Amino acid sequence: MNLMYLLQMTDSQFPVGTFSFSNGLETASHLGIVHDAATLEEYTRSVAIQGAFSDGVAALLSFRGALKDDLEAVEKIDNGLLLFKMNDEARMMLQRMGRKMAELSVKLFPENSLIHSWLDDIKNGTTAGMFPIAQGLSFAAAGLSEKELFASHQYGVINMVLGASLRCVRVSHYDTQLILQKLSADVEQLYETAKDMTFEDMNSFVPEMDIFASMHEKGNMRMFMN
Amino acid sequence: MFKPNIPEYITDVDIVSFDDAKEMAPYKKRPRAMHVGAPGKHGYLRLGFEVDSSGKSILRDLDRRAPLIVQQELYFDAEMPEMPCVYILSSGGPNVDGDRYRQIFTVKKDAIAHVSTGAATKIASMLDNYSGLLQTITMEENSYMEYLPEPVIPCARARFISDTQLIVHETATLFYAEIYMAGRKYYNEGELFKFDIMSVCSHGERPDGNQLFREKFIIDPHRDPIRDIGIMHGYDVFANVIVMTPKDNIQSIYEKTPAFIDKEKHIAQGISRLPNNSGLLFKVLGMEPGPVKKIVREFCSTVRMQVKGKPVPPEFPWR
Repeated sequence: MNLMYLLQMTDSQFPVGTFSFSNGLETASHLGIVHDAATLEEYTRSVAIQGAFSDGVAALLSFRGALKDDLEAVEKIDNGLLLFKMNDEARMMLQRMGRKMAELSVKLFPENSLIHSWLDDIKNGTTAGMFPIAQGLSFAAAGLSEKELFASHQYGVINMVLGASLRCVRVSHYDTQLILQKLSADVEQLYETAKDMTFEDMNSFVPEMDIFASMHEKGNMRMFMN
Repeated sequence: MFKPNIPEYITDVDIVSFDDAKEMAPYKKRPRAMHVGAPGKHGYLRLGFEVDSSGKSILRDLDRRAPLIVQQELYFDAEMPEMPCVYILSSGGPNVDGDRYRQIFTVKKDAIAHVSTGAATKIASMLDNYSGLLQTITMEENSYMEYLPEPVIPCARARFISDTQLIVHETATLFYAEIYMAGRKYYNEGELFKFDIMSVCSHGERPDGNQLFREKFIIDPHRDPIRDIGIMHGYDVFANVIVMTPKDNIQSIYEKTPAFIDKEKHIAQGISRLPNNSGLLFKVLGMEPGPVKKIVREFCSTVRMQVKGKPVPPEFPWR
């Protein structure tokens, strides 16, 4: 049953809206910087690394808070993660997806009072409602492990970019599946580093991606919301 | 090994330590040369700008320990001759193994200031330990400061960590720039991304402690594929500029500042709005420090025009 929950919440059909976002790929593709399988793999790896050491860490910390039923700790990391997001579209993406997952999770886990309280606090504006936090709470509610949470998080980050690439980069399904396989091999090592990190250790260094995000925010391209 | 037969004197200011930072864990050996905290390798600089009884902004408070040096303020800005300008110098040359630095800048109510460095900050090659910088910048009501230092150049095997606390009143403006080179580009075969680690954290808050944003980046060429698309790709210089300013200024500066990637000139810039309506984050990527410094200075001029109605004058030709 746990495995079914893992598949359900990791599936790209899980209705939180991941298909609406490209994580900067739309701009990188428009500029011709990402244009084939090799450049797509490079870019996706950059997205995966920064996701692991920021949102991935936040998901793990919220998961541990959820296991202790500690709403205060969960909301501290939730609001802390918002401080860490340096552009409007990133904040919008994570808050929109977070709220959708919270609304879905109270239906999937109706007995879980922590998710109910967290959703209430999102609605009354006292907590940010970020997506990695929703993942942490839902995985804890489903009885999954933090390693499974981290793997699911990384899969989601990678698959968001690869899914978007099929609509804006000249690559095939074979290409994207091979890239997914290659980058999946890094997840174990990323987890070994991320699992010991605290909020103070969270970090992100993707300056070119930040510039893609800025160009998207200021531009007119809107196949994706970021 | 040389062992000086003298007591281990410790500087008389609080010792800066980043030994709790996980990313510095491999670099905590005792330096074989002068110990951590030794006078002369634990810089301390306290600058306090305020408005005097005649209404002029002055450098009222100055305390320092070697190797950091600041002499008296000068008023050389042609567009804002009323603004005190100071250059931070280091008598020790580069930051070396086990160096620590503490900088505390305060700009009091209504005061203005411009702070820079006299030359690039070189981070020397290290064998045992690291170099660390702890900064606190406090901006009181309606104050204004430009912090626009020369670039940081990390040599091969350099290790550097900084933590910068920005305490800014909602009516004040702080322009805080940092420019990092990938290394000594033209030394021997080039030393790009041969350093061990650069860990940089800047966090903003209001005087009441309300947290506004937190940015931490770790450039670790051993850990990450720095040259990949999305990270540094083909660029060799990176500028990171934080602008904290009243929210009425934010949208105007944002709209006046384009985001672009110029593939012919190999230069790119982008701007975003910080969380909590606290300001802006501006990033530049380039190949050489000159063009990147020029863009950062132009952006400073945009901010100064918005806040003070005056541009930043052209840079001195010898800078």
